[in-house]
Amino acid sequence: MEVLKIEGLSEIFGFGRLEVRALEDINLSVSAGELVALLGPSGSGKTTMLLSTSLILEPTTGKIVFDGQTIFQKNGWSGGVDIRRLRREKMGFIFQSHNLIPFLTARQNVLFPLNLVGVKGEPANRRVMKLLEYMEIADRADYPPALLSGGEQQRVAIARALANNPRLILADEPTASLDTIRGKKVMELLKKIAKENQSAVIVVTHDVRMIEGFDYVYYLKDGRLDKQSVTH
Amino acid sequence: MDLAIQDIKQHKGRCLATAIGVGLLFALVLSFNGIYRGFLFEGLSFIKTTNPDLWVVERYRGGPIDEESIVPEFFHYSVAAISGVAKASPIIFSPVEREILGKKRRFAIVGYYVFDGLGGPQKFVAGRGIRRAHYEMVAYKKLGLKVGDRVHLGLHTYTVVGLTAEGTDPEGEPLVYLSLPDAQEVLFQRDNEEIRNQRERLLQSLTTLGAFSPGEAEKYLDRLLPDTHLANAIVVKLAPGADPAAVARRIEKWLYLSVYTTDQETELMLKGRLAKAKAQTVMFRIILYIVSIVIISLVIYTLTLEKIRTIAVMKLIGAPNRVIIRMVLEESVLLTSASFLFGLVLIHNTYQVFPRLVVLYASDDFFTFVIVLLGAILASCLGVLQALKTEPALALGEQ
Repeated sequence: MEVLKIEGLSEIFGFGRLEVRALEDINLSVSAGELVALLGPSGSGKTTMLLSTSLILEPTTGKIVFDGQTIFQKNGWSGGVDIRRLRREKMGFIFQSHNLIPFLTARQNVLFPLNLVGVKGEPANRRVMKLLEYMEIADRADYPPALLSGGEQQRVAIARALANNPRLILADEPTASLDTIRGKKVMELLKKIAKENQSAVIVVTHDVRMIEGFDYVYYLKDGRLDKQSVTH
Repeated sequence: MDLAIQDIKQHKGRCLATAIGVGLLFALVLSFNGIYRGFLFEGLSFIKTTNPDLWVVERYRGGPIDEESIVPEFFHYSVAAISGVAKASPIIFSPVEREILGKKRRFAIVGYYVFDGLGGPQKFVAGRGIRRAHYEMVAYKKLGLKVGDRVHLGLHTYTVVGLTAEGTDPEGEPLVYLSLPDAQEVLFQRDNEEIRNQRERLLQSLTTLGAFSPGEAEKYLDRLLPDTHLANAIVVKLAPGADPAAVARRIEKWLYLSVYTTDQETELMLKGRLAKAKAQTVMFRIILYIVSIVIISLVIYTLTLEKIRTIAVMKLIGAPNRVIIRMVLEESVLLTSASFLFGLVLIHNTYQVFPRLVVLYASDDFFTFVIVLLGAILASCLGVLQALKTEPALALGEQ
């Protein structure tokens, strides 16, 4: 089942001589259980692509269909769509620098998105512990982020992204702040999550060594998706 | 899960330091409330302690406290004869600086008719009231005297027979009660050397003009020497049912004196002697309120700015604005309340050490809390605005 479909998406900033075409005529489709890599050098438009995909940045034109619902069409958000609600209920985010909430413990960081969708009390606690065990970090559940290593923080961040069983997981350079071995472990984990949770996973990265085993790899260059490669 | 409480828990030391710092400022604000109240209390203390129906003073004077007034002591007979007056007695009120227990002390002497007069001390913390016509005194306990102590004032020595804890002069100095003749002696009687000099001067003047022979001059001399039978006011108790305004009008018309009720006397003080100092204190209180609110604003705004990236992350993962607003507001309210509590406890445990009276009212404390809380909420709106303006995109990329 198609989770995200982007058609003819363009992102243009400024106008006249100052016009910058950050993204141009982007077409992308990701289905449940698929792991997709978005590769590109610095300045290629990866972050803009991520912002558009996570429904933060309003595209100049194009169409975005998420989980069967048209979110953006031609030049405006579809009426009646609560984008922030969509993000908290159906999307999970993994960041380059983990971005855990510093004043919450590992357990509370994972609990936070659950609380946001109204899951509280014992069911929420059970879910949190299950996720932390799944990420093999349950023994550090009551540690604040400052007392966790980079790899541990990233595992908590992944657990947080998985908390609400998202349809789409967006990962922004998730291995950038990790060494190669830990980076590979995180990528393995993402593959496992895509398959086991049936979530669509888009990983933005510039590191080609990390994309082994991905379903699709998109190359972004000068705001265009130049090449689509099926790796298996 | 309460985000504000979690944040405070995680940054205990810092929040404690903030609460202590801001709390000290609140203690200052609260102490100034108390100083203001104490200043008014002391300013009106003698009027309220004496509390007669009418104060009769020298004509066109606002005396005896707001302005000096001198009336002959015997005027009280004339005042007592006015219809509607049940009792009238002279009273002396005069601030002085004299040596007590080997130290220069400022205090105010109150002289009154000790047997059947008005205006003596009402409540005693030790000893008794004055029972003899001479050489006994009642002192405010802050003077450090004990019952039985002997104090030399002017030409004589007085025995402390009682201690009181009520009544100060408008400067906050303690009151010392003496019988009227004793007070007149202490305040108006010159020492023997000066009396001798004065008699000599008068005698010379009378005989030099040639109007009197030395024998005749000697005869009139006592009548010409300055009179010490003076008072600062005549205090009046009205007969039941008497109209104070009508009695005051009669005294003013027939005796050429000025008359005030206790309320008018209070008003005179508030609009006269106390007015500028009161305005100054109010001004200072306002400045302190503003400073406290500005500092709380800065603290809250800084705390919010420090959390901007966290707020961006929250927004990106879909936290609704109300969650973020609640976090900022709640933290502001909690920090302000904790700081206020610290300031409140501090001032309520230290106000006795202030050199002048500090009067703390629960209503003032509550009013101050409401003001600073409103200020903090208003200030946290700046933080909330900043939080709402934060782009979720800020969460992406490197820190």
